[in-house]
Amino acid sequence: MKRALPPDPHHPARPPRIALLGESIVDETATAILAEAVLGGPFERVQPNLRARGWPSVLQILPAIARHLHFHTDADGLIVLVDADDSEPHTAAHEAPGYFHPRCRLCQLRATFRRATKTLPPARGRERVLRAVGLAVPAAEAWYLCGLDETVGEAGWIEARAEGRVPYTRRELKLRVYGTERPTLPLALERATAAARRHARDLRRLENDFPGFAAMADELRSWPRALALRSPRESASG
Amino acid sequence: MIASVAFRNFKALRSARLALQPFNLVIGPNGSGKSSLIQALLRLRTLARMPLRDLRREQDRLHDAAEVTFRFEPPHDGLEAVLGCASESVCDLLQIVPLPTGEGADDWEGLRKKILGLRAYLLDHTAIARPLYPVSSDELAPDGGNLGARLAALRDRAPEAFAGLRAEVLRLFPEYSELMLRPEKGSFALRIADPSENALLEPEDLSQGTLYTLALLALAHDPEPPAIVCVEEIDRGIHPRLLREVRDILYRLSYPADRGLDRPPTQVIATTHSPLLLDLFRDHPEEVVIAEKTGRAATFTRLSERTDLGELLAEGGSLGDLWYSGVLGGVPEEQP
Ligand SMILES: [Zn+2]
Repeated sequence: MKRALPPDPHHPARPPRIALLGESIVDETATAILAEAVLGGPFERVQPNLRARGWPSVLQILPAIARHLHFHTDADGLIVLVDADDSEPHTAAHEAPGYFHPRCRLCQLRATFRRATKTLPPARGRERVLRAVGLAVPAAEAWYLCGLDETVGEAGWIEARAEGRVPYTRRELKLRVYGTERPTLPLALERATAAARRHARDLRRLENDFPGFAAMADELRSWPRALALRSPRESASG
Repeated sequence: MIASVAFRNFKALRSARLALQPFNLVIGPNGSGKSSLIQALLRLRTLARMPLRDLRREQDRLHDAAEVTFRFEPPHDGLEAVLGCASESVCDLLQIVPLPTGEGADDWEGLRKKILGLRAYLLDHTAIARPLYPVSSDELAPDGGNLGARLAALRDRAPEAFAGLRAEVLRLFPEYSELMLRPEKGSFALRIADPSENALLEPEDLSQGTLYTLALLALAHDPEPPAIVCVEEIDRGIHPRLLREVRDILYRLSYPADRGLDRPPTQVIATTHSPLLLDLFRDHPEEVVIAEKTGRAATFTRLSERTDLGELLAEGGSLGDLWYSGVLGGVPEEQP
């Protein structure tokens, strides 16, 4: 298959053009840092004002955003990050070919994006906008605590919930990350940015403890090859 | 009615043009030109009161000076009003220019009368609730402060219109059984419907949203409403479920024939920040104006100019969701 070819070294990769959709500027800022770490270099942010109004609005709005990015922007890819809240975490079992967990937001978003984009005709010199979906269990603050607070992680979260316990609430996570349940935007940005930079130096712990992040990282890692396969003319078009 | 407004170097509106409809809902971030639009209209009204100055010679015009050009619907599409500004904020020259085509090129007086009928409202519940007497009751004050007196005047001078207003108040707020007027105090009250309470609520006891709705009703049920009405933040204090009623109250001004009213339409220019209110305009994107700011420059776009809107909406999510998501524009710029 053509897709399996290695990147062509004669077509030096330009920074990928990426749109980011999250529920707050805080999570988007942290996700941008993490995505750069995964991709191994900076990217160009497309349509920086994208924002979702929380679940299930993000699921409803995703097809329109995919269409808009496809026809109206030069985005190579879209990163979506949502909080899991009390919904099903995404596990390795969900990655089986053809599998789809109806209560996993990550599975739902992937399927929605696939449905929305598969019938779109090629536009702006590319076939489709690439996709990476992350699921923060139960909220992005858990990622920011990863490596600092041993009790925070998806495995423990799933185990506790199987026993009918709630190991920590979103509010408790906020309190632990920001020192207050009601952080100001600058404080939240500062802490989230610092946490993301810490993870960016070595992503292994975050990927290990948070499969909802690892799934996004895996999708992102498949992008450079897909982008390199695009013709040089496409890659150069602005 | 104003057909279009074109801005040059007017505050953030460096080069922007907006065609106006009978009803216009302007959305966009703060500082995107929504208020500048209303300010320009008010400036036009102020200068229309004064005698016209002689036509200024072209070479006297300041090269980069701010300028706002208004065009009008028939029967005054043969005239253009040009607001000239000495600086970004001082606009004190109004020129009326006859156009090569269109009607009414010689009827500045007729057009002037309509322009003088322009009103802008930024309703203030504290002003509405403050007992104030004596007070003029010929028309609703810009902050709604004379609402009590205005309601009494409507009842005395236009009993039929008042009856319609009263019926609307009781329909929208079924928790009340009567709208009581106290012309001697320039005030009013609502009687609580629950008979066990037998109580009257004074304006200071009523919610912001109730007071704003009453003020909008007083405008919409005025048998001779202003020719042009600007209302800022029409969603303010209004419960999401009542937003539709607010829209319909304003539609009564813009589309009187739809309500069986035999009077000229009032042109409405309203602003909002509410995605829930925007949801109600899914079928009328031509009524929605997106004010957008990129860097320091602001522009206007009609939602109906977004040709793929139907496809975007077909993908799911509401119009308000789409706006909030950023794909329609009209959202604040963010600098993380
Ligand atoms: Zn899943």
